[in-house]
Amino acid sequence: MPRWLRWTWIVPAAFLAVFLAYPLVVLARTVLAEDAPSTALHRLVAPSLWQVAGLASVQALLSTALALAVGIPLANVVSRYRFRGRALAQALVTVPFVLPTVVVALAFRTLLGTGVPQGFALVVVAHAYVNLAVVARIVGAQWSQHDPDVENVARTLGASRWRAFVDVTVPSLRPAIASSAAVVFVFSFTSLGIVLLLGDPMTRTLESQVLRQTSVLLDFPGAAATALVQLVLVTTVLLLGAAAARRSPTRRLRPVALRPLPPTRSGRMALRATVLCAYVIVLAPVLALVSSSVRAEGRWSLVWWQSLGAVDAGTTRIGSPASALATSLGFALVTALIAAVVGGLAAIAVVAPGRARFVAVIAMVPLGVSAATLGLGTLLAFGRPPLDLRGTGALVPIAHALVAVPLVVAVVAPALRSADARALAVAASLGARPTRAFLTAFGPILRVVMIASAGLAGAVSLGEFGAASFLTRAGAPTVPVQIVRLLGRPGEQSVGVAAALAVVLVLVTLTLVLLIDRLGTSARRTA
Amino acid sequence: MSTQRLETRGLALGYGGAVFARGIDLSVQPAEIVAILGPSGSGKSTLLGTIAGVVPAMAGRILVDGVDVTDLAIHRRRIGLIFQEALLFGHLSVLDNVAYGLRRHGAPRDEARDRGRELLAWVGLAGYESRRVGELSGGQAQRVALARALAPQPAVLLLDEPFSALDLDLRQRLASDVAQMLRDQGVAALHVTHDPGEAAAVADRVVSLADLSS
Repeated sequence: MPRWLRWTWIVPAAFLAVFLAYPLVVLARTVLAEDAPSTALHRLVAPSLWQVAGLASVQALLSTALALAVGIPLANVVSRYRFRGRALAQALVTVPFVLPTVVVALAFRTLLGTGVPQGFALVVVAHAYVNLAVVARIVGAQWSQHDPDVENVARTLGASRWRAFVDVTVPSLRPAIASSAAVVFVFSFTSLGIVLLLGDPMTRTLESQVLRQTSVLLDFPGAAATALVQLVLVTTVLLLGAAAARRSPTRRLRPVALRPLPPTRSGRMALRATVLCAYVIVLAPVLALVSSSVRAEGRWSLVWWQSLGAVDAGTTRIGSPASALATSLGFALVTALIAAVVGGLAAIAVVAPGRARFVAVIAMVPLGVSAATLGLGTLLAFGRPPLDLRGTGALVPIAHALVAVPLVVAVVAPALRSADARALAVAASLGARPTRAFLTAFGPILRVVMIASAGLAGAVSLGEFGAASFLTRAGAPTVPVQIVRLLGRPGEQSVGVAAALAVVLVLVTLTLVLLIDRLGTSARRTA
Repeated sequence: MSTQRLETRGLALGYGGAVFARGIDLSVQPAEIVAILGPSGSGKSTLLGTIAGVVPAMAGRILVDGVDVTDLAIHRRRIGLIFQEALLFGHLSVLDNVAYGLRRHGAPRDEARDRGRELLAWVGLAGYESRRVGELSGGQAQRVALARALAPQPAVLLLDEPFSALDLDLRQRLASDVAQMLRDQGVAALHVTHDPGEAAAVADRVVSLADLSS
């Protein structure tokens, strides 16, 4: 191993210390600032805060239940049976998750029109839609490992089909259900874009409360208290989920063998119906969005698309949609660079000797910090005198990189671990110097996964709304922020232009994700 | 009334519309162990799956103690099943695995566990009651699977290559143990294997799958 490998952890550790730990310290200090400790305590136990927390918990619980109710049957079909169009169905299920939340919210608005009132129920449905992939992927991965003969054994011992499912299948899926439920709960509990666009004044999350306290009430200590409470609640739920997932029965990994279609006619019908439902559920909002971008005054029209470049599409006050797109692409590029360097070095630390590995664990911490917490913390730490970096345009990419670093580590670290380290010894024995040997052993796989994870970070940045809503300057919004601003104003034009802008965002994001997927496939081949 | 424990008449095997064996007539007497010999992929497992009800019969009838069970659900057929792997329930203790079938047949919890202890002692695993199944060796797990399958007193026990995942030495020892245990209990059993030696060691009668179908 080259000697410099011992020191790669310094860059990610410094980045996290400056841009994550320090803002969180500033956040905590703001709660205490300027007045007596008792006032700070009052802020933390304020009934209004806990009322929102309670309401958000109920909302997140219902969202989780709905996502599980739809996602588990879907996981069963998509990850266990062999049928034509399975790969497509699997890709399709992932689509809602990679769509920016603001786009999902807008898609639901255009799908349901004014017929369905905004509010609690709509927010729950949209959250379940976004998180379908989380349940289907995590539960599906475990289910595909589950030998159906175990259930058959239970049947021969006298258990009915349902009884065998409850007694045997559910316990073996419990870890996966628990960890996916924890993730869906946290996503729904900390949701911002969907709550802003689909909720009513009664439907709030702590996240939207932080934004309101910051931008409307200008109550920074109050907002900081809300963000801290949320941080504690979210961390608790994630730890509980991890604990439940660990308490799993004997697990053995084996290659997934897809099953042929069920032997009975009714079984095959049920399977086809499930796949069809999945198609309808996933595609309906997206198609509604596309259609509303090409309809004006009850006719097909490209007027919203033509006005994307015009400065007055919307108003001159918030800039043209095209310039928002340019801003977003620029941020995505910078985010990709920062996240790839920071996350890549953190991941390399995994294969380094000694204690450097800890940094890969620490790099996952931002996952538990919500976007508004991150946004507000960054704003408080670096967006006010004496240190005001807002004008530099660096704050959004930095916050986005923090969101993306855990994903980069999650992609790169396993790939490095799976690369054959014996190649390093072979290269060294052939006379390669340490660095040369390292590149021989890990270079090829590293190149592929770094490009893929940079793309992933870019996709995250393009769709991120929470942190950006705190950190973008008024004159240069990102696309998601622009969409929300457009929708804040009445009129068919706002919705039409927002829809066209959202379609562009969808196309760019899906293209990126598809490219990443292809790179991932070739990375597996390299490994 | 038939005196056979298990009988198939003109059974056709297949999956998803494709038939690959038909006209299978087979019978197992009470307390008889019949081995079916055939190479891998010859449809031995599908035969057992069809008799157990896991795979629907393409044609023909299946009778257990003279009763036609062809259209009955798996859990009403009184047929036990043991696979190559023990397939124990990972979230239950060893004892609760054995007691599972008794509980499903309505035995009270304490009674089921008492009977489970007896069966565990009988397969040579007294003292393993509260172990987790992950702590068992392959041979021990297969013994637990045998006790579990026999607990609800099935009319017929089907064994699908039950020893082929084990080491040669253990395989031979366990095969003769299991044959002895089945004889002690007077259980009728249908044992499929690709190993002629194992078939001869375990069974009263050996038939080839190729000879069974028309």
